[in-house]
Amino acid sequence: MREIIRLVVVLSLICGVAAAALTGVRYSLEKRIERQSDFYVRGPALERLFNQPAVQLLGNKINFMTSNRVYSVFYTKSGDDVTGLAIEAPGAGGYGGDIILMVAVDLASDQMTGMEIIQHSETPGVGSRVEKVSFRNQWAGLSVSEPVKLRSQGGQIDAISGATYSSKAVVNGTNQIIELMSGHRDEIIAAIKSKGNG
Amino acid sequence: MDLLFLAISAIFVNNILLAQYLGNCPFCGVSKKLDTSIGMGVAVIFVVTLASIFTWAAYRYILIPYDMGFMQTLVFILIIAALVQFVEIFLKKQSKTLYNALGIYLPLITTNCAVMGIALLNIKHEFDFINMVVFAFSSAAGFALAIVLFAGLRERLVISPVPQALRGTAIALVTAGIMSLAFLGFRGMVQ
Amino acid sequence: MKFKQVLLHGLWKDLPPFRLVLGLCPALAITSSAEKGLGMGLAATFVLIFSNTFISALRKSIPDKVRIASYIVIIATLVVLVEMSMKAFFFPLSQQLGIYIPLIVVNCIILGRAEAFASRNPVFLSMTDGLSVGIGFTISLTLVGSIREILGAGTWFGMSLFGASFEPFGFMVEAPGAFLCLGLLLGLMNAYSRKRGEMFIQS
Repeated sequence: MREIIRLVVVLSLICGVAAAALTGVRYSLEKRIERQSDFYVRGPALERLFNQPAVQLLGNKINFMTSNRVYSVFYTKSGDDVTGLAIEAPGAGGYGGDIILMVAVDLASDQMTGMEIIQHSETPGVGSRVEKVSFRNQWAGLSVSEPVKLRSQGGQIDAISGATYSSKAVVNGTNQIIELMSGHRDEIIAAIKSKGNG
Repeated sequence: MDLLFLAISAIFVNNILLAQYLGNCPFCGVSKKLDTSIGMGVAVIFVVTLASIFTWAAYRYILIPYDMGFMQTLVFILIIAALVQFVEIFLKKQSKTLYNALGIYLPLITTNCAVMGIALLNIKHEFDFINMVVFAFSSAAGFALAIVLFAGLRERLVISPVPQALRGTAIALVTAGIMSLAFLGFRGMVQ
Repeated sequence: MKFKQVLLHGLWKDLPPFRLVLGLCPALAITSSAEKGLGMGLAATFVLIFSNTFISALRKSIPDKVRIASYIVIIATLVVLVEMSMKAFFFPLSQQLGIYIPLIVVNCIILGRAEAFASRNPVFLSMTDGLSVGIGFTISLTLVGSIREILGAGTWFGMSLFGASFEPFGFMVEAPGAFLCLGLLLGLMNAYSRKRGEMFIQS
């Protein structure tokens, strides 16, 4: 009996110390890891969307929570006013799972200024062509007040030939962002402002 | 149809041993005889499928809700180690024949990177339950296929005139390289 | 005397993954470039040194029956530490190494050294053993990585070596190249050992 107690005590002690150490380190490194992954994964996209070096943009981030998920939202400001947003969302329905994309919105005109693919696992050479400039450029100037559609469904986006699924996934992601904007536009701006003050 | 593609790509195109390099220690260690390699292959299929289900569930329903994704590695290895122990005890009690056939391979499996690797890949690919089970099972089947084929080759190697310096693990690795070259040919299949 | 022996054994006598045929997976998987080999080697060395140290320090208080479980917890904790630090400080490298960082947990070298050495030797010697085996592993991985990168991509640590006219044999950075390269290196080492008259027969 004493033997068994000893086994349990030693093992739980080791596990406890291990869990405590990990939680501590995780707590102290969390911010840095998030910044690093923003810089390397989202940095290039942010630079193109906002025409500013990524280093300046990384701090401009909030995690906006809706009832069903958390969105990463980056922003630019001039003075106290929020001028532009870049919202990240997953586009469901890609051939290799969700396509993570980011759409930039100019708040003055309520138009999109660009779209960037953050992460995808589409077939190289086929679905991966959603990353092409000619495809992405179609987003500039789209309105955020109505859903986007592929041209085959009477919309404004030309799908990539042979990669309808991937194109559709990007459109889905965009519509998710449009929906977020129509429902929570003011909340997002308020969240950014309160972050700036606090 | 998608599931079939997933299975074929896991067995042949992205063969866990020959294209993803996981599980090489038993690959070289237990592949000298055909019958032991079959035993190992079956044991791996069994444990990988079970371990994938448990680790996937733990990740999805415990780690993510409590925001402890960073503990993934620690939790997974403990689940796998415990699972292997349970399977061993269970087999010993319930089925003597199965235990005699698979028993000696079970302890080796805890440190088989294929098991841990597939558990991690399930998470990385963000599979749902069905896809995860199909992926885990077919990856493990790919492992079994490769190790059984390889054991056949090695049985022939023993009686071949291999240069002194290359005998043993060295020639085994070179042979595995040539096999892996053959498996590269499957790449055109799924794309 | 003993100290020197322990310090040097990992560099030739028990050089992983060649002489001590353990830890093959990382040696094959991440050696497509010298940088990845070096990064993986250093990560594994860190884990080895500290796992050996802790296990040796605790060897008298860990009951025999839960020995392996305790070792696994200690090793896994260290691996998660490495995983997080790499993400925080060397993000691109950690992306390249991907799942092979958490897979250090099941690297047989580490559990092997814990069981064979650290569980029955004093702290300082165990630490030295970890250092020695770790450095041996790092050198081997960097060497294999260098060979594969130079032949397969014409670069070394990302620096272009041969100019534009060089046509790399792409197959060296693919899976078959890994097996072939490791097998032939092992063969070369065996030939050298035989010439020196060392008794070394691999089954």
